[in-house]
Amino acid sequence: MPSFLPTVAKQLFKDIQKTYQEKTKIPDDLLIALRFVFGSCALQALDLVDQRSVTCVSSPSGRRAYQVIGGSGLLYTCYTSCHYCSCPAFAYTVLRRNESLLCKHILAAYLSQAMGLSQQEALSDQQMSSILSGRAARTDT
Amino acid sequence: MADILTLVFRTFNQHNGKPKDFKSIAPSKCSTLVVGDCSVNRSLLILAAVTAASELGLKVSFFTQVQIQSLPGSLQESMSNLSPDNLKKIKFSYPRSLEDLLQDVASLHESASGSAAPPSLIIVDGLEGYLRGPGVSGGLQQAEQSSAAHISALLYDTAAFLTQTLEERAASLAPCRVIASFQSEWEGHAGGDSSDPVLSVLDRYFQVRCTLDQDWNSAPAVAGPQDTWHVYLSGAGITEDPIAKDEEVSSLAREWRLVICPNRSMEFTMV
Repeated sequence: MPSFLPTVAKQLFKDIQKTYQEKTKIPDDLLIALRFVFGSCALQALDLVDQRSVTCVSSPSGRRAYQVIGGSGLLYTCYTSCHYCSCPAFAYTVLRRNESLLCKHILAAYLSQAMGLSQQEALSDQQMSSILSGRAARTDT
Repeated sequence: MADILTLVFRTFNQHNGKPKDFKSIAPSKCSTLVVGDCSVNRSLLILAAVTAASELGLKVSFFTQVQIQSLPGSLQESMSNLSPDNLKKIKFSYPRSLEDLLQDVASLHESASGSAAPPSLIIVDGLEGYLRGPGVSGGLQQAEQSSAAHISALLYDTAAFLTQTLEERAASLAPCRVIASFQSEWEGHAGGDSSDPVLSVLDRYFQVRCTLDQDWNSAPAVAGPQDTWHVYLSGAGITEDPIAKDEEVSSLAREWRLVICPNRSMEFTMV
Protein backbone atom coordinates (compact mmCIF):
# COMPACT_ATOMS: atom_id res chain seq x y z
CA MET A 1 0.00 0.00 0.00
CA PRO A 2 2.77 2.56 0.68
CA SER A 3 3.18 3.36 -3.04
CA PHE A 4 -0.38 4.72 -2.98
CA LEU A 5 0.48 7.22 -0.22
CA PRO A 6 1.91 10.73 -0.48
CA THR A 7 5.36 11.14 1.07
CA VAL A 8 4.04 13.09 4.06
CA ALA A 9 1.72 10.21 5.02
CA LYS A 10 4.47 7.60 4.61
CA GLN A 11 6.72 9.59 6.91
CA LEU A 12 3.91 10.04 9.42
CA PHE A 13 3.35 6.26 9.69
CA LYS A 14 7.11 5.72 10.09
CA ASP A 15 7.18 8.28 12.92
CA ILE A 16 4.15 6.68 14.58
CA GLN A 17 5.76 3.23 14.33
CA LYS A 18 9.05 4.43 15.82
CA THR A 19 7.46 6.45 18.62
CA TYR A 20 4.90 3.78 19.52
CA GLN A 21 7.63 1.13 19.78
CA GLU A 22 9.53 3.36 22.24
CA LYS A 23 6.70 4.88 24.29
CA THR A 24 3.63 2.67 23.57
CA LYS A 25 1.63 5.82 22.92
CA ILE A 26 1.19 8.33 20.13
CA PRO A 27 2.23 11.86 21.25
CA ASP A 28 -0.05 14.84 20.64
CA ASP A 29 2.02 16.32 17.83
CA LEU A 30 1.67 13.13 15.77
CA LEU A 31 -2.06 12.92 16.56
CA ILE A 32 -2.47 16.50 15.31
CA ALA A 33 -0.50 15.63 12.18
CA LEU A 34 -2.67 12.54 11.65
CA ARG A 35 -5.83 14.66 11.94
CA PHE A 36 -4.33 17.26 9.59
CA VAL A 37 -3.45 14.73 6.87
CA PHE A 38 -6.47 12.41 7.09
CA GLY A 39 -9.21 14.65 8.50
CA SER A 40 -12.06 13.34 10.59
CA CYS A 41 -11.48 9.67 9.74
CA ALA A 42 -8.22 9.76 11.76
CA LEU A 43 -10.10 9.67 15.07
CA GLN A 44 -12.52 6.99 13.84
CA ALA A 45 -9.58 4.87 12.67
CA LEU A 46 -7.84 5.20 16.04
CA ASP A 47 -11.08 4.03 17.68
CA LEU A 48 -11.04 0.93 15.47
CA VAL A 49 -7.42 0.27 16.44
CA ASP A 50 -8.29 0.67 20.15
CA GLN A 51 -11.09 -1.86 19.74
CA ARG A 52 -8.66 -4.29 18.01
CA SER A 53 -10.95 -4.31 14.99
CA VAL A 54 -8.20 -5.04 12.44
CA THR A 55 -7.28 -8.65 11.64
CA CYS A 56 -4.47 -9.58 9.28
CA VAL A 57 -5.56 -12.84 7.63
CA SER A 58 -3.03 -15.07 5.87
CA SER A 59 -3.09 -18.41 4.05
CA PRO A 60 -0.49 -21.13 3.27
CA SER A 61 0.27 -19.57 -0.15
CA GLY A 62 1.63 -16.52 1.71
CA ARG A 63 -1.21 -14.25 0.58
CA ARG A 64 -2.38 -11.71 3.16
CA ALA A 65 -5.29 -9.28 3.49
CA TYR A 66 -6.82 -7.10 6.19
CA GLN A 67 -10.29 -7.53 7.57
CA VAL A 68 -11.71 -4.65 9.58
CA ILE A 69 -14.87 -4.73 11.68
CA GLY A 70 -16.61 -1.40 11.06
CA GLY A 71 -18.57 0.65 13.53
CA SER A 72 -21.78 -1.04 12.32
CA GLY A 73 -20.33 -4.49 13.04
CA LEU A 74 -19.93 -5.34 9.35
CA LEU A 75 -16.67 -6.85 8.16
CA TYR A 76 -14.75 -5.06 5.40
CA THR A 77 -11.84 -6.42 3.37
CA CYS A 78 -8.80 -4.28 2.50
CA TYR A 79 -5.87 -5.38 0.31
CA THR A 80 -2.25 -5.18 1.43
CA SER A 81 -0.66 -3.65 -1.68
CA CYS A 82 -3.16 -1.00 -2.81
CA HIS A 83 -6.04 1.07 -1.52
CA TYR A 84 -9.36 -0.71 -1.73
CA CYS A 85 -12.09 -1.23 0.82
CA SER A 86 -15.51 -2.73 0.32
CA CYS A 87 -17.20 -0.08 2.55
CA PRO A 88 -19.70 2.53 1.24
CA ALA A 89 -17.49 5.45 2.41
CA PHE A 90 -14.65 4.31 0.14
CA ALA A 91 -17.08 4.08 -2.80
CA TYR A 92 -18.53 7.53 -2.12
CA THR A 93 -15.84 9.83 -0.69
CA VAL A 94 -12.78 8.25 -2.31
CA LEU A 95 -13.97 6.91 -5.68
CA ARG A 96 -16.98 9.08 -6.49
CA ARG A 97 -16.26 12.45 -4.84
CA ASN A 98 -12.47 12.14 -4.80
CA GLU A 99 -12.50 13.97 -1.47
CA SER A 100 -10.42 11.56 0.59
CA LEU A 101 -7.31 9.53 0.09
CA LEU A 102 -8.70 6.54 1.98
CA CYS A 103 -11.45 5.42 4.35
CA LYS A 104 -11.21 4.84 8.13
CA HIS A 105 -10.85 1.06 7.62
CA ILE A 106 -7.74 1.38 5.42
CA LEU A 107 -6.30 3.98 7.78
CA ALA A 108 -6.98 1.63 10.72
CA ALA A 109 -5.11 -1.12 8.84
CA TYR A 110 -2.11 1.22 8.36
CA LEU A 111 -2.16 2.29 12.02
CA SER A 112 -2.57 -1.25 13.37
CA GLN A 113 0.39 -2.34 11.27
CA ALA A 114 2.52 0.59 12.47
CA MET A 115 1.55 0.02 16.11
CA GLY A 116 1.71 -3.80 15.94
CA LEU A 117 -1.87 -4.07 17.16
CA SER A 118 -3.57 -6.09 14.44
CA GLN A 119 -4.99 -9.53 15.23
CA GLN A 120 -3.59 -12.48 13.25
CA GLU A 121 -5.64 -15.28 11.75
CA ALA A 122 -4.66 -18.22 9.53
CA LEU A 123 -7.04 -19.33 6.76
CA SER A 124 -6.96 -21.94 4.02
CA ASP A 125 -6.07 -20.82 0.49
CA GLN A 126 -9.67 -21.38 -0.61
CA GLN A 127 -11.02 -19.25 2.25
CA MET A 128 -8.55 -16.53 1.32
CA SER A 129 -9.76 -16.63 -2.32
CA SER A 130 -13.36 -16.22 -1.18
CA ILE A 131 -12.45 -13.24 0.99
CA LEU A 132 -10.41 -11.55 -1.73
CA SER A 133 -13.17 -11.98 -4.30
CA GLY A 134 -15.79 -10.59 -1.92
CA ARG A 135 -17.77 -13.84 -2.09
CA ALA A 136 -17.39 -14.35 1.65
CA ALA A 137 -16.49 -11.92 4.40
CA ARG A 138 -14.85 -14.66 6.42
CA THR A 139 -15.88 -18.21 5.65
CA ASP A 140 -15.15 -19.73 9.04
CA THR A 141 -17.55 -17.50 10.98
CA MET B 1 6.93 1.33 -19.12
CA ALA B 2 4.63 -1.27 -20.60
CA ASP B 3 7.27 -3.83 -21.48
CA ILE B 4 5.04 -6.49 -23.06
CA LEU B 5 3.13 -4.03 -25.27
CA THR B 6 6.38 -2.31 -26.27
CA LEU B 7 7.68 -5.74 -27.29
CA VAL B 8 4.50 -6.32 -29.34
CA PHE B 9 4.89 -2.96 -31.11
CA ARG B 10 8.52 -3.73 -31.96
CA THR B 11 7.83 -7.33 -33.00
CA PHE B 12 5.10 -6.29 -35.41
CA ASN B 13 6.94 -3.21 -36.64
CA GLN B 14 6.10 -2.50 -40.26
CA HIS B 15 9.56 -1.23 -41.24
CA ASN B 16 12.20 -2.65 -39.00
CA GLY B 17 11.44 -6.32 -39.51
CA LYS B 18 11.84 -8.62 -36.57
CA PRO B 19 13.67 -7.19 -33.57
CA LYS B 20 16.64 -9.02 -32.13
CA ASP B 21 16.70 -7.27 -28.80
CA PHE B 22 13.82 -8.82 -26.84
CA LYS B 23 15.90 -8.92 -23.69
CA SER B 24 16.83 -5.22 -23.96
CA ILE B 25 13.34 -4.16 -22.88
CA ALA B 26 13.50 -3.80 -19.10
CA PRO B 27 10.86 -5.85 -17.27
CA SER B 28 8.18 -3.60 -15.82
CA LYS B 29 5.78 -4.12 -12.91
CA CYS B 30 3.46 -1.45 -14.30
CA SER B 31 -0.03 -2.65 -15.09
CA THR B 32 -1.48 -1.41 -18.36
CA LEU B 33 -5.03 -0.53 -19.39
CA VAL B 34 -5.75 -0.67 -23.13
CA VAL B 35 -8.55 1.78 -23.96
CA GLY B 36 -10.13 1.61 -27.40
CA ASP B 37 -12.50 -0.31 -29.62
CA CYS B 38 -13.27 -3.72 -28.12
CA SER B 39 -12.37 -5.81 -31.19
CA VAL B 40 -9.03 -4.03 -31.72
CA ASN B 41 -8.37 -4.24 -27.97
CA ARG B 42 -8.95 -8.01 -28.08
CA SER B 43 -6.61 -8.52 -31.06
CA LEU B 44 -3.89 -6.49 -29.31
CA LEU B 45 -4.29 -8.51 -26.10
CA ILE B 46 -4.04 -11.81 -28.02
CA LEU B 47 -0.88 -10.52 -29.71
CA ALA B 48 0.48 -9.61 -26.27
CA ALA B 49 -0.33 -13.07 -24.88
CA VAL B 50 1.22 -14.92 -27.81
CA THR B 51 4.28 -12.66 -27.88
CA ALA B 52 4.88 -13.06 -24.13
CA ALA B 53 4.47 -16.85 -24.33
CA SER B 54 6.46 -17.49 -27.50
CA GLU B 55 9.22 -14.87 -27.33
CA LEU B 56 9.72 -14.60 -23.56
CA GLY B 57 8.50 -18.05 -22.47
CA LEU B 58 6.10 -16.53 -19.94
CA LYS B 59 3.01 -18.22 -18.53
CA VAL B 60 -0.11 -16.22 -19.33
CA SER B 61 -3.58 -16.27 -17.78
CA PHE B 62 -6.06 -14.83 -20.28
CA PHE B 63 -9.58 -13.96 -19.09
CA THR B 64 -12.31 -13.07 -21.56
CA GLN B 65 -16.06 -13.44 -22.04
CA VAL B 66 -15.65 -14.04 -25.77
CA GLN B 67 -14.57 -17.45 -27.05
CA ILE B 68 -11.23 -17.12 -28.88
CA GLN B 69 -11.81 -18.97 -32.16
CA SER B 70 -8.58 -18.16 -33.99
CA LEU B 71 -5.35 -16.21 -33.71
CA PRO B 72 -5.12 -12.78 -35.40
CA GLY B 73 -4.27 -12.90 -39.10
CA SER B 74 -0.74 -13.71 -40.25
CA LEU B 75 0.39 -14.25 -36.65
CA GLN B 76 1.73 -17.70 -37.37
CA GLU B 77 3.84 -16.40 -40.26
CA SER B 78 5.13 -13.44 -38.28
CA MET B 79 6.41 -15.23 -35.22
CA SER B 80 9.44 -17.45 -35.48
CA ASN B 81 8.97 -19.10 -32.10
CA LEU B 82 5.29 -19.90 -32.46
CA SER B 83 4.69 -23.55 -31.60
CA PRO B 84 1.98 -25.60 -29.88
CA ASP B 85 4.25 -25.92 -26.83
CA ASN B 86 4.55 -22.16 -26.53
CA LEU B 87 0.83 -21.67 -27.00
CA LYS B 88 0.22 -24.13 -24.15
CA LYS B 89 1.73 -21.50 -21.85
CA ILE B 90 -1.44 -19.46 -22.38
CA LYS B 91 -4.40 -20.52 -20.25
CA PHE B 92 -7.68 -19.14 -21.55
CA SER B 93 -10.49 -18.78 -19.01
CA TYR B 94 -14.00 -17.64 -19.78
CA PRO B 95 -15.63 -16.22 -16.62
CA ARG B 96 -19.14 -15.14 -17.56
CA SER B 97 -19.79 -12.55 -14.87
CA LEU B 98 -17.87 -10.09 -12.74
CA GLU B 99 -18.39 -12.38 -9.74
CA ASP B 100 -16.80 -15.31 -11.63
CA LEU B 101 -13.91 -13.11 -12.82
CA LEU B 102 -13.24 -11.92 -9.25
CA GLN B 103 -13.25 -15.51 -8.01
CA ASP B 104 -10.90 -16.69 -10.80
CA VAL B 105 -8.42 -13.86 -10.23
CA ALA B 106 -8.65 -14.23 -6.44
CA SER B 107 -7.80 -17.95 -6.80
CA LEU B 108 -4.56 -17.37 -8.74
CA HIS B 109 -2.55 -17.23 -5.50
CA GLU B 110 -3.48 -20.88 -4.85
CA SER B 111 -1.11 -21.93 -7.65
CA ALA B 112 1.74 -20.42 -5.61
CA SER B 113 1.35 -23.29 -3.11
CA GLY B 114 1.82 -25.94 -5.81
CA SER B 115 4.85 -27.01 -7.80
CA ALA B 116 3.96 -25.16 -11.01
CA ALA B 117 5.07 -21.55 -11.41
CA PRO B 118 2.27 -18.97 -11.28
CA PRO B 119 1.55 -16.78 -14.35
CA SER B 120 3.84 -13.89 -15.24
CA LEU B 121 1.15 -12.12 -17.22
CA ILE B 122 -2.53 -11.71 -16.37
CA ILE B 123 -4.72 -10.44 -19.19
CA VAL B 124 -8.35 -9.39 -18.84
CA ASP B 125 -10.16 -8.69 -22.10
CA GLY B 126 -13.21 -6.43 -22.10
CA LEU B 127 -13.60 -5.08 -18.57
CA GLU B 128 -16.63 -3.13 -19.85
CA GLY B 129 -18.49 -6.41 -20.40
CA TYR B 130 -17.94 -7.43 -16.80
CA LEU B 131 -18.66 -4.01 -15.30
CA ARG B 132 -21.84 -3.37 -17.28
CA GLY B 133 -23.08 -6.92 -17.33
CA PRO B 134 -26.23 -8.23 -15.64
CA GLY B 135 -24.21 -8.93 -12.47
CA VAL B 136 -23.87 -5.19 -11.81
CA SER B 137 -27.07 -3.83 -10.35
CA GLY B 138 -29.03 -1.43 -12.51
CA GLY B 139 -26.01 0.03 -14.29
CA LEU B 140 -25.71 2.56 -11.47
CA GLN B 141 -22.63 4.69 -11.86
CA GLN B 142 -21.51 4.24 -8.26
CA ALA B 143 -21.95 0.45 -8.48
CA GLU B 144 -19.88 0.42 -11.67
CA GLN B 145 -17.18 2.52 -10.02
CA SER B 146 -17.06 0.24 -6.97
CA SER B 147 -16.90 -2.86 -9.17
CA ALA B 148 -14.17 -1.27 -11.31
CA ALA B 149 -12.16 -0.49 -8.17
CA HIS B 150 -12.66 -4.00 -6.80
CA ILE B 151 -11.44 -5.90 -9.87
CA SER B 152 -8.62 -3.39 -10.55
CA ALA B 153 -7.38 -3.51 -6.95
CA LEU B 154 -7.62 -7.31 -6.91
CA LEU B 155 -5.58 -7.52 -10.12
CA TYR B 156 -2.99 -5.11 -8.65
CA ASP B 157 -2.76 -6.99 -5.35
CA THR B 158 -2.59 -10.37 -7.10
CA ALA B 159 0.19 -9.22 -9.43
CA ALA B 160 2.13 -7.78 -6.46
CA PHE B 161 1.83 -11.10 -4.61
CA LEU B 162 2.72 -13.25 -7.63
CA THR B 163 5.72 -10.99 -8.38
CA GLN B 164 7.02 -11.70 -4.89
CA THR B 165 6.42 -15.45 -5.39
CA LEU B 166 8.14 -15.48 -8.78
CA GLU B 167 11.12 -13.54 -7.43
CA GLU B 168 11.58 -16.21 -4.76
CA ARG B 169 11.04 -19.23 -7.02
CA ALA B 170 11.93 -18.28 -10.61
CA ALA B 171 13.40 -14.78 -10.77
CA SER B 172 13.75 -14.88 -14.57
CA LEU B 173 9.95 -15.12 -14.86
CA ALA B 174 9.30 -12.10 -12.59
CA PRO B 175 7.57 -9.70 -12.39
CA CYS B 176 3.91 -10.57 -12.85
CA ARG B 177 2.27 -7.96 -15.08
CA VAL B 178 -1.37 -7.10 -15.73
CA ILE B 179 -2.86 -5.94 -19.01
CA ALA B 180 -6.60 -5.26 -19.22
CA SER B 181 -8.78 -3.66 -21.86
CA PHE B 182 -11.74 -1.32 -21.58
CA GLN B 183 -14.02 0.30 -24.12
CA SER B 184 -15.41 3.58 -22.85
CA GLU B 185 -18.96 4.43 -23.90
CA TRP B 186 -18.83 7.86 -22.32
CA GLU B 187 -20.28 10.49 -24.70
CA GLY B 188 -19.97 7.96 -27.50
CA HIS B 189 -16.21 8.40 -27.54
CA ALA B 190 -14.75 4.96 -28.13
CA GLY B 191 -11.22 5.99 -27.26
CA GLY B 192 -12.23 7.01 -23.77
CA ASP B 193 -12.28 10.30 -21.96
CA SER B 194 -10.97 11.45 -18.62
CA SER B 195 -14.51 12.46 -17.62
CA ASP B 196 -15.68 8.84 -17.84
CA PRO B 197 -16.24 8.08 -14.13
CA VAL B 198 -15.41 4.37 -14.54
CA LEU B 199 -12.26 5.13 -16.51
CA SER B 200 -11.14 7.60 -13.82
CA VAL B 201 -11.40 4.79 -11.25
CA LEU B 202 -9.48 2.35 -13.48
CA ASP B 203 -6.75 4.99 -13.92
CA ARG B 204 -6.15 4.93 -10.15
CA TYR B 205 -4.91 1.34 -10.34
CA PHE B 206 -3.36 1.02 -13.83
CA GLN B 207 -0.11 2.98 -14.02
CA VAL B 208 0.02 2.95 -17.83
CA ARG B 209 -2.79 3.66 -20.25
CA CYS B 210 -2.50 2.55 -23.89
CA THR B 211 -5.06 4.56 -25.85
CA LEU B 212 -6.20 3.43 -29.29
CA ASP B 213 -7.86 6.21 -31.32
CA GLN B 214 -9.08 5.55 -34.84
CA ASP B 215 -7.29 7.82 -37.30
CA TRP B 216 -10.03 8.98 -39.68
CA ASN B 217 -7.68 11.34 -41.51
CA SER B 218 -5.17 8.81 -42.77
CA ALA B 219 -4.79 8.56 -46.51
CA PRO B 220 -6.53 5.57 -48.08
CA ALA B 221 -4.16 2.72 -48.74
CA VAL B 222 -3.14 1.87 -52.25
CA ALA B 223 -3.59 -1.83 -51.56
CA GLY B 224 -7.20 -1.45 -50.40
CA PRO B 225 -9.26 -0.49 -47.38
CA GLN B 226 -7.56 -0.70 -44.01
CA ASP B 227 -8.04 0.62 -40.48
CA THR B 228 -5.49 3.04 -39.07
CA TRP B 229 -5.23 3.69 -35.35
CA HIS B 230 -3.19 6.10 -33.31
CA VAL B 231 -1.66 4.28 -30.32
CA TYR B 232 -0.14 6.18 -27.43
CA LEU B 233 1.12 5.28 -23.99
CA SER B 234 0.51 7.61 -21.05
CA GLY B 235 0.13 7.61 -17.28
CA ALA B 236 2.32 7.72 -14.20
CA GLY B 237 4.11 4.51 -15.20
CA ILE B 238 5.40 6.32 -18.31
CA THR B 239 6.04 9.85 -17.04
CA GLU B 240 7.60 8.78 -13.73
CA ASP B 241 9.71 5.99 -15.25
CA PRO B 242 13.36 7.05 -14.74
CA ILE B 243 14.49 5.00 -17.75
CA ALA B 244 11.88 6.58 -20.00
CA LYS B 245 12.92 10.04 -18.81
CA ASP B 246 16.56 9.46 -19.57
CA GLU B 247 16.43 7.62 -22.85
CA GLU B 248 15.38 9.49 -25.91
CA VAL B 249 14.38 6.26 -27.63
CA SER B 250 12.00 5.37 -24.81
CA SER B 251 10.29 8.73 -24.94
CA LEU B 252 9.89 8.45 -28.71
CA ALA B 253 8.40 4.98 -28.36
CA ARG B 254 5.28 6.31 -26.66
CA GLU B 255 3.39 6.90 -29.90
CA TRP B 256 2.74 4.38 -32.64
CA ARG B 257 0.54 4.05 -35.68
CA LEU B 258 -1.33 0.78 -36.04
CA VAL B 259 -2.52 -0.36 -39.43
CA ILE B 260 -4.95 -3.27 -39.57
CA CYS B 261 -4.70 -4.80 -43.03
CA PRO B 262 -7.60 -6.44 -44.90
CA ASN B 263 -6.30 -9.87 -43.79
CA ARG B 264 -6.64 -8.56 -40.16
CA SER B 265 -2.87 -8.58 -39.57
CA MET B 266 -1.60 -5.72 -37.40
CA GLU B 267 1.43 -3.60 -38.25
CA PHE B 268 2.89 -0.94 -35.97
CA THR B 269 5.00 2.04 -36.98
CA MET B 270 6.69 4.37 -34.53
CA VAL B 271 5.39 7.95 -34.86
